[in-house]
Amino acid sequence: MSEMKPSDVATVEDSSQEKDWAAAKAFFDNLKSNKPIPPKPQFAVSIAVSSRTVFNMVRLEVAAPPPHPPLPTPPVNNFPLESELALMNVNSRLRELYPDSEELFDVILMTNNPAQVGVRLINSINHYDLTIERFCMTGGQSPIGYLEAYMTNLYLSKDSDKVTEAIEAGIAAATMFMPEKEMELSDTQLRVAFDGDAVLFSDESEIIVKKHGLDTFFEHEKRYENQPLAQGPLKCFLEALGKLQRKFYSKNERLNCPIRTFLVTARSAASSGARVLKTLRSWGLEIDEALFLAGAPKGPLLQKIRPHIFFDDQMFHIEGAKDLGTIAAHVPYGIGQKYHKGKLIEQPAKNE
Amino acid sequence: MVSTVQNTDVKQKESDHAVVVAVASRAVFEPEAQGGDNVYAEGVAFPLLQALQKVNERLLEENSAESLLFDIVLITTDSQQQQQSSHLISSTKHYGLEVSRFCFSTEEDFIESLLQNNVQLFLSTDRNEVSQTSQKGVLSALLDEYTTSCPSEQLRVLFCGDAVIRPDTNPTPASRQAAQSFSAQLGKMRQRFGMSDSPLSIVLMTSCGGRDSCGGALRTLRSLGISVDEAYCLAGSPRGPILSVLRPHFVLSDCFSGLED
Repeated sequence: MSEMKPSDVATVEDSSQEKDWAAAKAFFDNLKSNKPIPPKPQFAVSIAVSSRTVFNMVRLEVAAPPPHPPLPTPPVNNFPLESELALMNVNSRLRELYPDSEELFDVILMTNNPAQVGVRLINSINHYDLTIERFCMTGGQSPIGYLEAYMTNLYLSKDSDKVTEAIEAGIAAATMFMPEKEMELSDTQLRVAFDGDAVLFSDESEIIVKKHGLDTFFEHEKRYENQPLAQGPLKCFLEALGKLQRKFYSKNERLNCPIRTFLVTARSAASSGARVLKTLRSWGLEIDEALFLAGAPKGPLLQKIRPHIFFDDQMFHIEGAKDLGTIAAHVPYGIGQKYHKGKLIEQPAKNE
Repeated sequence: MVSTVQNTDVKQKESDHAVVVAVASRAVFEPEAQGGDNVYAEGVAFPLLQALQKVNERLLEENSAESLLFDIVLITTDSQQQQQSSHLISSTKHYGLEVSRFCFSTEEDFIESLLQNNVQLFLSTDRNEVSQTSQKGVLSALLDEYTTSCPSEQLRVLFCGDAVIRPDTNPTPASRQAAQSFSAQLGKMRQRFGMSDSPLSIVLMTSCGGRDSCGGALRTLRSLGISVDEAYCLAGSPRGPILSVLRPHFVLSDCFSGLED
């Protein structure tokens, strides 16, 4: 699991890295557009997004390049625009409070598309004025190595195979599911909702539910209330968000914090909720609102919360969220992948 | 004094159309002899040669009359290696490397041998050699810790769009011309293959500029007839980690200043 970024090891590498940085800084300082240089990857909270999560891509035939750049591709459901605004609002508030800090959000485009499509993607980014300066157009190569090279904190893609590969490599990742109708989202506060088991926490308790039923689960959770759960694939991303939040708290901006986190869990407060809260506390992590649904559907509650994104490991909840207008991100991790609506999925024979 | 020996095991390429690539022999083979056969061990540039060869094989598969091929020449300036020239030649034949010719010269006149042989790209592990040849207008690239010495099915060529890699060398008009003509030929070779399963991958990286720098570089390369397979815009992120994943065989950098305009 990717933990907090490693501190710099003093090597010859560092002086050439510093030269790269200085050259880039000089370039951006000279730009007339006043765009700030993106933050240093080792300090930034880096979110890598695939081209299809940002744009409504039409599969382009790579024929002879057109004489003029074609019209930009439209974004998907305003997701990039409003989330982008919220993310950049966090950055501008942080820059005001901490002018020398590189602890900021950074969005990197990670696409499988060949570089020939690249110019069109860049035009589209320009057209919608998105704050994306870094990209990897891998032309078919796996993105995993590049995600690691950027110390990516979160990878979002529509390709579930790549997302699974990323999770297996210890990178927080989720497969995006866009709702058909748009929900109005804040452009000043980034709101992120997480499921608990098999997202923030490991799937150890979910295994008990699936294999032994709810009653055993409740007993188990009460008995082990004081034993923290093991961490899940998105714990580190919550941690990264928490680190940014604390920067606002230290400057007395708690009430005005432009990041808000939510736990939306099927657990019930009475019987199994305590363990979750105690686990978070043991990790030194805070979550702004913990909502225990005791098995009720998540869709309606998410409609009220209006998060920019909701992470869950079970497709049942993803579909429920999406149907009611929430942008849902599926985390393909744990025992939940083998079940659908409580029933064990027949595993298809593997094609070798 | 420059002397050239042809490799009789290999069919000589048509000089008008071939792309002559000279590689320092000390990069291709390890100096110590291996075993009792008097055959050298593989050096860091050995996989590079294999990749160049693979491109030729695939080009000929597409068109058996293809004349746009890599023409590989080994350059030896090391006097010790020159004394063992027969080992060099026999090692080359032992591994079945598609080297057309061997050039032996002193350090003073090896550039002359490059020019005599119409070399379009010179590759070496020696920083000084690369710097000198570059200043004389021969496109050169340094084989260093960032260039792959792992066997690879695909020749990976990296263009650095806004390189600050060797700020001490200023590209001359001659070297820029050399870079453009080599790149155009590389672009033509790339066109012989489809989008996937190409034995040659052309990669662009911009280090300091933002997305528009990279976009500009893509357009410039396209205008030279070069379709880029992969593009990476770093905007200040450290090059090292990305290069370790990229694994280029060689990097063409300082002849492209202004590429992003």
